[in-house]
Amino acid sequence: MRRTEIVSTNTGTTGTTFTRWFGLLAVVALALVAVFGLVLSPPDVVQGESVRILYLHVGTVWVAYLAFVVTAVSSAAYLWKRSSSLTWDRVAGASAEIGVLYMGVTLLTGALWGRLSWGTFWVWDARVTTTAFMFITYIGYLAVRGLGGSHRQRARRSAVVALLAVLEIPLVHFSVELWRSVHQDASVAGRTTDVTLDGLMLFTLLLSTVAFTLVYVWFVLHRQRVLAMEDALDDRGLDYALIERRREGAMR
Amino acid sequence: MGSDKSIELSPRQVVPTASRVRARGRRWPALAVLALVFIGGGVVVTKFLSSAIDYYCNVDEVGVKDGCEAGRRLRVQGNVEEGTVASAGGVTTFAISFNGVEMVVRYVNGDPGGIFQECVPVVVHGRLVDVTAADGTVTLVFEGDHVDVKHSNEYAAANDDRLDQAEAACSLPA
Repeated sequence: MRRTEIVSTNTGTTGTTFTRWFGLLAVVALALVAVFGLVLSPPDVVQGESVRILYLHVGTVWVAYLAFVVTAVSSAAYLWKRSSSLTWDRVAGASAEIGVLYMGVTLLTGALWGRLSWGTFWVWDARVTTTAFMFITYIGYLAVRGLGGSHRQRARRSAVVALLAVLEIPLVHFSVELWRSVHQDASVAGRTTDVTLDGLMLFTLLLSTVAFTLVYVWFVLHRQRVLAMEDALDDRGLDYALIERRREGAMR
Repeated sequence: MGSDKSIELSPRQVVPTASRVRARGRRWPALAVLALVFIGGGVVVTKFLSSAIDYYCNVDEVGVKDGCEAGRRLRVQGNVEEGTVASAGGVTTFAISFNGVEMVVRYVNGDPGGIFQECVPVVVHGRLVDVTAADGTVTLVFEGDHVDVKHSNEYAAANDDRLDQAEAACSLPA
């Protein structure tokens, strides 16, 4: 009860005028994705309507990669002595949380697309397996952040994990070229520069990536502020406990 | 003296502070999640090593390449040959080919599902068996119980020209 009072008294909200406008922009972008993805873009000649899942599946996985790269860069910035502000650690944590959320959407939409196209929800092929492994790794990263200790201990420990985990991204992305996979090769960012998507499909795909990036940034802005509040709450909780202890000592 | 009380330095019993209690309370769920992560990671790595590295053999590798021996259960990739798909009595038969080598497939679970059609690449799970025809001839057939339908990385808009649509799948690379 007292903790809640501390937060509401000192900080109030995680929103600013900028984040409100930014959030509105993200909502408009998502609405455009819905219009292009569900109405204006054509069905695929082989997959039919199920191709529309692509706009969620690919958009979210690209932003999940971005989120994990941001986590790694923020972690590296924290470990770099001259910039060891805990803000870097909070940005890393917030970004990883959103990345895990996005990657969960990627796996879910991939399973639905797989049922419609491959005829099965799941195959243990190289791309699907490495993606599942990366998802599990980042859940582990979030668990490491929750292991307790001081904020600095949490930051150092999780930064090391983040710098190792990010190495999985090229493995996942190029798995379809390194091993034989049921999953198709990359249509846009593959080994060759050829783009193998119809024009409006490509536009919708890029639009969805921009929209999901905006949503990601909005989430991270708010989430890292919430994490800052939680850290402040921990610190103040300690301060209050010390004050109470001193009072107790003075009453003896 | 009152100041003596304020500088009391004798050892006291440690009172857990709010942040310490919270950290301890949080640790167990985090450790439980980490344990699940290690178990899940182990399962995924095992699956990767046992299944994902060489997910399938191509038709022309069956009986030729290591790991693609004809007598064992296999996953075989090939392109569904045009004009070979037929269904009867819950069995779908078709031919798949790769690098000019063809194999007859007898899929025993009805419709393969997904976007299965002529000219698309598929991965059939099963094993090679001898099938004796009514005239006594014995042929080698791949008896499948699961089909993964592959999709190329090419996406094209469907249009009203039915002929173009019908040919589109056959124009996709294997």
